[in-house]
Amino acid sequence: MGFVMISRRGGSMPIRRKLSTTMVTTFGLTITLGIAFILAIFLMLVLSKEPAQTIFHFFVGPFANKFYFGNMLNAAIPLVFTGLGISVAFKSSVFNLGGEGQVYSGALVTTAVCLAIPNLNGLLGGTMALAAGLGIGALLAGLSGFFRMKWGTDELISSFLISGAIVLIINYLITGPLDDPTNSLLTTPKIGEQYRLFQFFKPSKLDISAFFAIIAAVLMFFLMYYTHWGYEMRMCGLNREFSRYGGINVSFYMVLPMILSGALHGLAGGFAVMGTHHAALKEFTFGMGWNGIAVALIARNNPLGVLPAAILFAYLDAGAKAAMLHSDVTFEIAAVIQSIIFYLVTAQAIYSLFRYRKREAA
Amino acid sequence: MNDNTFAIPLVHNAVGIMTPFLLAATGGLFTELTGMLNIALEGLMLIGAFFSVVFAAATGSLLMGILLGILATMAVALMFGVISLYLKANIFISGLATNLLASGLTVVLAFQLFGNKGVIRFENIQKLPVLSIPALQKIPVLGDLLIGHNILVYVSWAVLFIAAVVIYRTPFGLRLRGTGMGKDTIASLGLNPTGYQLKAIIISGFTCGLAGAGLTLNLSAFVPNITSGRGWIALVAIYLGNKNPLGILIACFVFGFAESFSNYAQGAMNMPAEIILAFPYIITVAAMIGYSIWRHYRAQA
Amino acid sequence: MAYLNMDRISKFYPESNVLANDNVYFELNRNEIHAIVGENGAGKSTLMKILFGMERPDSGRILLQNDEVKIKNPLDANALGIGMVHQHFRLIPDFTIAQNVVLGIEPTHNGLLLDRDEAIRRVEAVMDEYGFNLDPTQKVASLTVGQMQMVEIVKILYRKAELLILDEPTSVLTEQQIHKLFETMRNLCRLGKTIIIITHKLGEVKEISQRVTVMRKGKVVAIRNTEDVDEKELSRLMVGKSVIFQFDRSSRNKGAAVLELQDVLLQKKTTERPLLDRINLKVHSGEIVGIAGVGGNGLSEIEDIVSGLTPVSDGRILHNGKEITHLSARHLRERGLAYVPADRLHRGSSIETSVLENMIVSDHHSFLKGGVFSQHDIREFASTLLANYSIDGQSGVPIGTLSGGNIQKVILARELAARSDFIIFSEPTWGLDVASSEFIYSKILEIREQGTAVLLISSNLDEILGLADTLIVMYRGRIVCSHPNTEELSKEIIGEYMLGLRDDFKEGRQHAD
Repeated sequence: MGFVMISRRGGSMPIRRKLSTTMVTTFGLTITLGIAFILAIFLMLVLSKEPAQTIFHFFVGPFANKFYFGNMLNAAIPLVFTGLGISVAFKSSVFNLGGEGQVYSGALVTTAVCLAIPNLNGLLGGTMALAAGLGIGALLAGLSGFFRMKWGTDELISSFLISGAIVLIINYLITGPLDDPTNSLLTTPKIGEQYRLFQFFKPSKLDISAFFAIIAAVLMFFLMYYTHWGYEMRMCGLNREFSRYGGINVSFYMVLPMILSGALHGLAGGFAVMGTHHAALKEFTFGMGWNGIAVALIARNNPLGVLPAAILFAYLDAGAKAAMLHSDVTFEIAAVIQSIIFYLVTAQAIYSLFRYRKREAA
Repeated sequence: MNDNTFAIPLVHNAVGIMTPFLLAATGGLFTELTGMLNIALEGLMLIGAFFSVVFAAATGSLLMGILLGILATMAVALMFGVISLYLKANIFISGLATNLLASGLTVVLAFQLFGNKGVIRFENIQKLPVLSIPALQKIPVLGDLLIGHNILVYVSWAVLFIAAVVIYRTPFGLRLRGTGMGKDTIASLGLNPTGYQLKAIIISGFTCGLAGAGLTLNLSAFVPNITSGRGWIALVAIYLGNKNPLGILIACFVFGFAESFSNYAQGAMNMPAEIILAFPYIITVAAMIGYSIWRHYRAQA
Repeated sequence: MAYLNMDRISKFYPESNVLANDNVYFELNRNEIHAIVGENGAGKSTLMKILFGMERPDSGRILLQNDEVKIKNPLDANALGIGMVHQHFRLIPDFTIAQNVVLGIEPTHNGLLLDRDEAIRRVEAVMDEYGFNLDPTQKVASLTVGQMQMVEIVKILYRKAELLILDEPTSVLTEQQIHKLFETMRNLCRLGKTIIIITHKLGEVKEISQRVTVMRKGKVVAIRNTEDVDEKELSRLMVGKSVIFQFDRSSRNKGAAVLELQDVLLQKKTTERPLLDRINLKVHSGEIVGIAGVGGNGLSEIEDIVSGLTPVSDGRILHNGKEITHLSARHLRERGLAYVPADRLHRGSSIETSVLENMIVSDHHSFLKGGVFSQHDIREFASTLLANYSIDGQSGVPIGTLSGGNIQKVILARELAARSDFIIFSEPTWGLDVASSEFIYSKILEIREQGTAVLLISSNLDEILGLADTLIVMYRGRIVCSHPNTEELSKEIIGEYMLGLRDDFKEGRQHAD
């Protein structure tokens, strides 16, 4: 008798892959970086009157001595935290665009706590300060996640807007009530000596927060792939319907990843203060949030991959700086190269030349 | 006449300040209507700002500067569009990349051409002509506020008007809106939705180029990152204005007024500028949340 | 001379390894309403997609009034006077009827501005010519589904279609809307149009068409005058020999009621009639209750509410006497209610994730030691299941790379492992090969022996008749038959229930037992 035309029923057609994903990703990434480096060389050839010098300093400069090398690694640290923050959000299919505000507020709150407790023991007070920085970031991002869960407000836009407002407010605080009156710089007073993290690679500013960054990456990797929160987050990120069917609390996993993401961003700011700058300067964290997105992209949202990705970005910045100091190009060529990497990394079509073909039943 | 003596310059300034917002938001409206989140407005405006003032100085003509600046911006927009639509890049990421590229490239070129990474002043350019249109002055209440602006301010109104006509009164506009509301439907009619999206991006390049020109030609100088977030504000204005021309006009005015007021308040009152500038963000996020709550409870009923 | 000839059309889809059209010969006369029937996958949609230019044939040709034509895209089809109304409407809800109809070929003032008045005028003219009673200035979003379909037809008439293809047009309509549609179709034929209707509803074929083409497995198996065939013969042609599975179903005494639905009502604001209309049913321990029906009559809604994914509007659901009506899918799983969904690829599994991670989703908490997954335990669990269920695949690969049969086995293994005393199956063997289907049947009978209460939803009548102890038929959201599965129930009789021709519960609501 009558047979059914069921529109949503799953078919039996398999999905074939021609190459495994890791191989393709590495291959694609190598191509991307290759193109980026060729472009860098091209830029320097065009812009510099002494291209050989420039190119040399760009690629080799960051390794030239302890100072440059250490500072390069140091610049990578906040990118590791923000990269982790973005990757945990992306993996769960939530979008945290408030990174800039979360990093900045983490920095300010950490500074404020340190300044408020000038006589406490370094370890205790420092931990409190970092916890506070972590907390404010978690709160800000978590708010967006909460609005998404409760009322369906788009967390991408709400986190961006909140961040925009926060940045302005913090700018005001740093240049106003919290400004250090003893100097003419736009910064808060310096935090107490006991809160400053040990810089172990003098004369560079590389401090022990580097180890915390590595620990954070390992922890996040462990969380995502070995614990049940990570499993549930990833399942929600890949297929919300399947997750709900399987009994996972999908609503909760709209909020938790945002909280984690914000917390990591807050830590980025906190460590930047306690490790390197020892105060909250106006706009000193700018770019850490946005670059975190680039880092997460290159790392394909894999927490361990964030480490080399962050170093890559910091390397580009450091190379540009070295080239600038020793030659005649300007630092901003790093931004140009980074933007090309962004484009290449996200242009899927390049990968589809080699990539697996996803086919579902027609 | 008005006896509110401080309000007039405040509002008058606001009308001038909102011009770049309005232009960028108008272009952004096209992209938004085709269903794309276009965050490259900021970067595109910066490109327009740089090239228009550079070309104006090079050719000695304001008009040429503006036209060539717009052309350059549209070229960058084309690249952005092709990468996002045809190379299947994530439009958000490529938008970020465009902003980053603009900010880096303009400084690199400035350094290359003028040996200066900071503020570059151009001596030989005229200022934007300030128009005095008597007809406008006759409008009650608003009259005084509408006169005495530079030409690009009036151009921005014209652009908004033309955009509204195009969007709501032409086949192109109908198909554009259709693309945002039903890509498959448009495709099934034999039309090319991706083509409309690309055109929308290029249009946003046009208006952002104009917006950027307004910033630098007003000062006869290029300041690195002169756009400082205006592109983002334009995007917010589109949402706050509920994605229609009149709403955008009002939203842009709100932002313009906020900036004007903060300039004023910095001097005269003791209210911090940044707090005032933060207001529009807060208003928008509150409006968004309020709208979500309303929509949520309406669906439940 | 036939109006349209499709001559030896073949189309092969390499990605899914399916020969969708195998030397198909199709012939259409002018002014007739011609029905094309066939099961899912018979090839009728593909054939029409080729006719409409959405697909290109590998071989064969199309002749329109004896002239060979090449149809490369829908625009070519339009130019030849061929229009298609798809099953899923292609309309922009926020636009008016007029805007939707003229979109793409809008009338303009001097080429630049839209001429709204002219558009309305022209659309009205078309509607008057063909007898449509709609207001062109009304927004599509405010129309009923039947009216939206009319707009789709107006769209293609506006483009001067002579040949109209309607793809499953009645699947979303109410009875009255169907009558209206058929009236419209007859009227269009009187005015000179030719219509092809793709349908699976054999009653409608008899009602509206003059000739019918039956397709099966990519081939045309019969072309008949409608008056020369009856529904029985049509269905026989569609199905061919039915595949007989040997079901060793021993008679059992059923135990206590495990799952019970009491007066369950499901109503959405967007539909006119309730999706589930006062459903009462019980599933006992050791009993297989089979629910049959045509898609769109409430089967998938039963699936959704029993699994907790859609909340009921009214009524109660009881598990072993305890109320579970408002529990979420999560809590139902904690109580051990297992569920094998019809939508394997989007709901039953996450195709990019590994087999392993798919296997543990319902019960992953049990593998935790101190919040951390015990990799060893998980792997052991997975290999046990892979072996027990003869699943051809490794646990580390993405589940999407497995064949359909193996994916279903993974889902089955997972659900059976996590169940307590109840499980619901929806379309368990749809699209699967014989070997996998047999395996699944044997498992279902096995758990029945073990006392599990089984709810089986299926469109495969052979399957239901073979497995079910009690048979329920749904029609338009109501239960119209609830009967022990005895000799008295033949496929013909069940078919009559499925098509609404029989109804045991029309007067007053009796309880199904």
